[in-house]
Amino acid sequence: MKIKYFAWIKDITKKDVEVLNSNYPKNIEELKKYLILMYPSLEKHISKNILRYAINMEYNSKNPSLQENDEIAVFPPVSGG
Amino acid sequence: MIKIQKKDFNVENEINTIKDKYSSIGAVNVFIGFVRDYNDKKDVKFLELEVYEQMAIKELSKIQQRAIKKFKLIDSLIIHRYGKLNVNDKIVLVVCFSVNRKNSFEATKFIMDYLKKDAPFWKKETYDFGSNWI
Repeated sequence: MKIKYFAWIKDITKKDVEVLNSNYPKNIEELKKYLILMYPSLEKHISKNILRYAINMEYNSKNPSLQENDEIAVFPPVSGG
Repeated sequence: MIKIQKKDFNVENEINTIKDKYSSIGAVNVFIGFVRDYNDKKDVKFLELEVYEQMAIKELSKIQQRAIKKFKLIDSLIIHRYGKLNVNDKIVLVVCFSVNRKNSFEATKFIMDYLKKDAPFWKKETYDFGSNWI
């Protein structure tokens, strides 16, 4: 599984992408737990529901199962335009 | 048409490229977003725009297709830049081509509203002292 980080999220993770193999999170709730464990500074943003998650470049408001070859993106609210 | 690019664009050329294809176009509505020099009580020196490019293309295409259907547009163009942009630089162009003005006005607003909400771009402003993601 590939996890991509954008904007100020990658200032916290100190990387813009990471690859997880067999121990990948199986859904978004597990992903949140993984992020908090690895990057404790993200906890306050995750608990306030500020972050957005895209699965294979699609927004998803539910908590679907994640697959090993998914591309997940974690980012703050967008600010284009 | 969707374009995500670093380089600047010429608004008139971009419009004419599409307008020249259709004599049925009676109205062209244009929105241009620029980098301004002041935001949140601070002098802005420049912006860095980050994009999740493949997702941005997907999201903008979805928004554009919805607008074309909803407002019966003849065509539409969205250009969004990324990278380092200075004050006065253009950031975004949205153009909606239709038979009459009402639909092109409304479609342009519709596209911009969804672009601001869902298109994965992020701005980082740099000031005299420090910088900030906005």
